Amino acid sequence: MKYHILIGGKAGQGINKISSFISKLFSEKGYYIFNYRDYQSLIRGGHNFNIICVSEGKISSCEKKIDFLVCLDERTKEIHKEDLKKNAVILEAKEFENLKIDVNIALSIKLGKIFSFEKKDFLKIAEKEFPNKKDLISDLYDKIETKEKLPLKKLNKNIELIDGSKSVAKGSIESGLNFYLGYPMTPSTSLLNYFKEYEKENSLRVLQPESEISVINTALGISFSGNLVMVGTSGGGFDLMTEGLSFAGQSEIPLVIYLASRPGPSTGVPTYTSQGDLNLALFSGHGEFPRIVLSPGYPEQAIKKINESFFLAEKFRVPVIFLTEKNFAESLFSLEKFPKLKKIKIEREIPGEQIVKNSSYEHLSNGETTENEEQIKENNKKRIKKEKEILEEIEKMSPIEIFGKKDSKNLIFCFGSTVNVIKDILTYEKIDAKVVQIIYLKPFSKKIKEEIKKSKNIFIVEQNVTSQLSRLIKENTLYEIPEKNRILKYNGRPFFYDELKEELKKRIK
Amino acid sequence: MTKDISTKSQITWCPGCPNFLILEAVKRVINELIKEGNKQEDFCIVTDIGCNSKIYDYLNLSGVYGLHGRAVPLAEGIKIGNPKLKVLAFQGDGGAYAEGIEHLIHAIRKNTDISLIIHNNEAFSLTTGQPTPTTPFGKKIKNEEIKLEPLNPIKLALSLNAKFVARCNPYDIEDTKRIIKKSILFKGFSFVEIIQKCLIFSPEMSIFEKNFYKIEDNKRLENAWEIANQWNYSSTEQKIPIGIIYEKN
Ligand SMILES: Cc1ncc(C[n+]2csc(CCOP(=O)(O)OP(=O)(O)O)c2C)c(N)n1
Ligand code: SF4
Ligand SMILES: [Mg+2]
Repeated sequence: MKYHILIGGKAGQGINKISSFISKLFSEKGYYIFNYRDYQSLIRGGHNFNIICVSEGKISSCEKKIDFLVCLDERTKEIHKEDLKKNAVILEAKEFENLKIDVNIALSIKLGKIFSFEKKDFLKIAEKEFPNKKDLISDLYDKIETKEKLPLKKLNKNIELIDGSKSVAKGSIESGLNFYLGYPMTPSTSLLNYFKEYEKENSLRVLQPESEISVINTALGISFSGNLVMVGTSGGGFDLMTEGLSFAGQSEIPLVIYLASRPGPSTGVPTYTSQGDLNLALFSGHGEFPRIVLSPGYPEQAIKKINESFFLAEKFRVPVIFLTEKNFAESLFSLEKFPKLKKIKIEREIPGEQIVKNSSYEHLSNGETTENEEQIKENNKKRIKKEKEILEEIEKMSPIEIFGKKDSKNLIFCFGSTVNVIKDILTYEKIDAKVVQIIYLKPFSKKIKEEIKKSKNIFIVEQNVTSQLSRLIKENTLYEIPEKNRILKYNGRPFFYDELKEELKKRIK
Repeated sequence: MTKDISTKSQITWCPGCPNFLILEAVKRVINELIKEGNKQEDFCIVTDIGCNSKIYDYLNLSGVYGLHGRAVPLAEGIKIGNPKLKVLAFQGDGGAYAEGIEHLIHAIRKNTDISLIIHNNEAFSLTTGQPTPTTPFGKKIKNEEIKLEPLNPIKLALSLNAKFVARCNPYDIEDTKRIIKKSILFKGFSFVEIIQKCLIFSPEMSIFEKNFYKIEDNKRLENAWEIANQWNYSSTEQKIPIGIIYEKN
């Protein structure tokens, strides 16, 4: 069983609230959920919608074509009538006009009753979601009639609903994060908000300095004085941080930078998704210094990888860029098991105990400035040598992940959350292919070249105009993915299952 | 016994530069505080980029040589990350009042317990003498006359409710030492500006030095404003008050 439910309306009508209500009803019964959020950069009005995919099998993507359309306003029906499957069911707010703001609850109940949820199921979720609406829910449940009745199973699964940002927040706290610093910018803001929410119960402090420039410089100070620190930002904010990034490169003060992408250039399209910042993560900053760039696909992986990020930043004293996109950060996924993590300890020398000097200038081993030619050369060699050592370390950490038919000669490359939709398609459709998700983008694993050697036809799926990942693969393996094998999308929306399935079927025979 | 907190780095300031005097004052402060029971490891210096910031290399203390204009957030971070450290930040007028003024404004609001010491030579010296926000009105730089009124940083600090505001004469090493020491002991953000002539790019500041006069430590805000208004950073006639202009109780 797999259904798609679209809930649409104006910003401020509680679309996320009812999406979460409906998602929880299903996940409580052990169904897998994926929830895509499509919203505009405005606070009230406009047109926003969520697509919830409910499935008996694992799923982390959604289709464009929908089975249930829940309309909180008239426009939703108008806008999405093209997206309806045959026999789709439409639920409209006007049926419950007298309920005013509670119309969203009524619509959730109506939808839930179609799926044969019982009153106690609703009340259980309401306990947390709408504690003061329990009587209303009980009352509405008795009153609302539905024609359709679909069978509901109780699946034996323990599923936690979690969005990408929340998984990074939780993984960081489990790793022992002491400080998070950020300046609000979509789609990194939700991470800042989660940390703020978790600040009280954990030994964590969250700071919002006056600008991204201040964020990174303050963070480097905090790291220097002996703490595990992360900063978070998006495109333009990251640009402002890049002088600080080079500073981290020269001073070797460890730092993890969370970079959540949205379509640029410049202000671009703030609330939509993109993978256009790969080059930014790889090449930003002046001078030459080692860095680590990695990009997770889904929460379970992100939790493990953020833990590795802190470990690597401390061990090698390099900046680590944790690259994600809006599609990862703000989509809701189903997490079955929270991975066990090791707390990361700070083992370097810290001021207060010793005399420690770190510098933005080229420096001697005691931290004092040098312009000596031999020393400059040695320092450069020493810094760049780390790239090799880091590579050795990440080869042990699953730098890539492979899904689909493992022995297939058809290979699809991707990075970030784009892996989810490809993985889902290869799981449920008859397509002879495997997908290689490149998790560590810098340094670049040797395993990638081996995969290329084993394959006949190589494809790429990514969300940018110039196929930045193709360029990276070529730079590292000398293999160029043919233009006709590049599936690129750059309209701010993620790949949808049905749309990408057709594309892959066309190309992979 | 005084502890030698020098380093082996060769000092590259121009001979006679008042930065030497500031270095000496800071050494005396640290030594006094060590004698009073602090450890050498308890201090942390943060510098910007500029002639002033070379002090990082000449003090055997923990520290970070930061970016131009960014010493303040770096210093705030160190203090927040390890509140036991006594943190001193050094900046020039270029770094503090041009490139990084946003940080100065917010640091005063945030009132993190650090001492900010600004070497105001009214010039970008390390980059060969270009004008800064405190370059005097009418100064000629390569045949071009400066036509902007200088910023009065003391008034700026007071307007933001700064709680410790002082101005130093580097030639009076003992007084500079006394003021910097007080700024370190002050709980909260302290703003200390040193009127530091650059021998190469602002020798005209010698005229100002004749107008220096010492004031008594002041704790009244109305007086502070009156003191701040005495010199407009351009005038060669006005008296230039030196001392603790305002310290909040
Ligand atoms: C971002 C950035 N911009 C410009 C510079 C070049 N720069 C180095 S020192 C300096 C000016 C220093 O003037 P000031 O802060 O007054 O210090 P002084 O040399 O006068 O002590 C500048 C602009 C730099 N290092 N970084
Ligand atoms: S250029 Fe000016 S400020 Fe710099 S060292 Fe020489 S005299 Fe001092
Ligand atoms: Mg200067």
